[in-house]
Amino acid sequence: MSWFRAAPENASPGDQDVFDEEADESLLAQREWQGHMRKRVQEGYRDGLDAGKALTLQRGFNQGYKEGADVIINYGLLRGTLSALLSWCHLHGNSSTLISKISNLLDTVDQCEECVLRRLKSVTSQPRVTDLLDAIEDMDLCHVVPSDQAKGDSNAEINTDSDSPNGMGCSHPEHCRPKEHAHLEKPSLSWILEQTSSLVKQLGVPADILQHLRQL
Amino acid sequence: MAVEQDIFDAVVMADERFHGEGYQEGYEEGSSLGIVEGKRYGMVHGAKIGSEIGCYRGFALAWKCLLHSGAGEKDSRKMKVVEALIALLQDFPYDDPTYEKLHEDLDRIRGKFRQLCSLLNVQPDFKVTPGGSGLAF
Repeated sequence: MSWFRAAPENASPGDQDVFDEEADESLLAQREWQGHMRKRVQEGYRDGLDAGKALTLQRGFNQGYKEGADVIINYGLLRGTLSALLSWCHLHGNSSTLISKISNLLDTVDQCEECVLRRLKSVTSQPRVTDLLDAIEDMDLCHVVPSDQAKGDSNAEINTDSDSPNGMGCSHPEHCRPKEHAHLEKPSLSWILEQTSSLVKQLGVPADILQHLRQL
Repeated sequence: MAVEQDIFDAVVMADERFHGEGYQEGYEEGSSLGIVEGKRYGMVHGAKIGSEIGCYRGFALAWKCLLHSGAGEKDSRKMKVVEALIALLQDFPYDDPTYEKLHEDLDRIRGKFRQLCSLLNVQPDFKVTPGGSGLAF
């Protein structure tokens, strides 16, 4: 009770209107209290936010790490295999046509992997690996539209559905040949695998070289 | 004196109660954000490792097959290095960021891969990234 009496005493020196000062003091005190409590809530929220994050950040990292590795390793397998074939062709002086085909397939794998990575980064929910694999299955655009054009190309869907050759939005004209359009509806990994298998036959190396890719 | 004590306690309790309410709300939000942010960051790092290890594995398995099929150019030393690399890759838990020897084994794999490329006299187009990647906070 004494601090109630002390407040007016501190405020009164130098002021004439005691009653108005008390009223203002009361309002001021009320606002200060409200501001103080609001500040306490904000401080508590910030502390809680930091604590909650600290507890789950490592767990989220570990989950994401495993999912990312399990998805992308398949593209790595494919790229490594194609790279081995490419280096073997260089060593054995194979035709530049085949070397060019392998190089194009390597570029396609890079683009597909970039698409998948972008999907992984943009995911805000907490998908399972099967969800991510389903997302990969839906990426028909990976081997048709280059990554830099896929963003601004609003006709990408139309290009995919079109059966007529369309080289406008494609940096790999050979991919737009009519005979290859049948593959546009299939997952991009399957398409690349088919192309690789065809190349292996042309190179004359044993088909066993693709044995470790059968699971894809 | 007793009345003053009660008023003071009420002030402190209100203070703590408001802080606690904010804390609880922030904690729930922070837990969700931590999972999402951690997962996103982890995916990027896991994808890098998966891509790199996959390349080594695909490359080594393909070259093992090529060396095996080579008629007159069978080279036991090359085959030994290829098989050593494949063994390292098989034992490496590439999708486990908590693996204690992750950096150690990764460096060994990279070294063995470089040795293989040197023996084969090839320069693959994918690069071996130097330095370790941040795998934990």
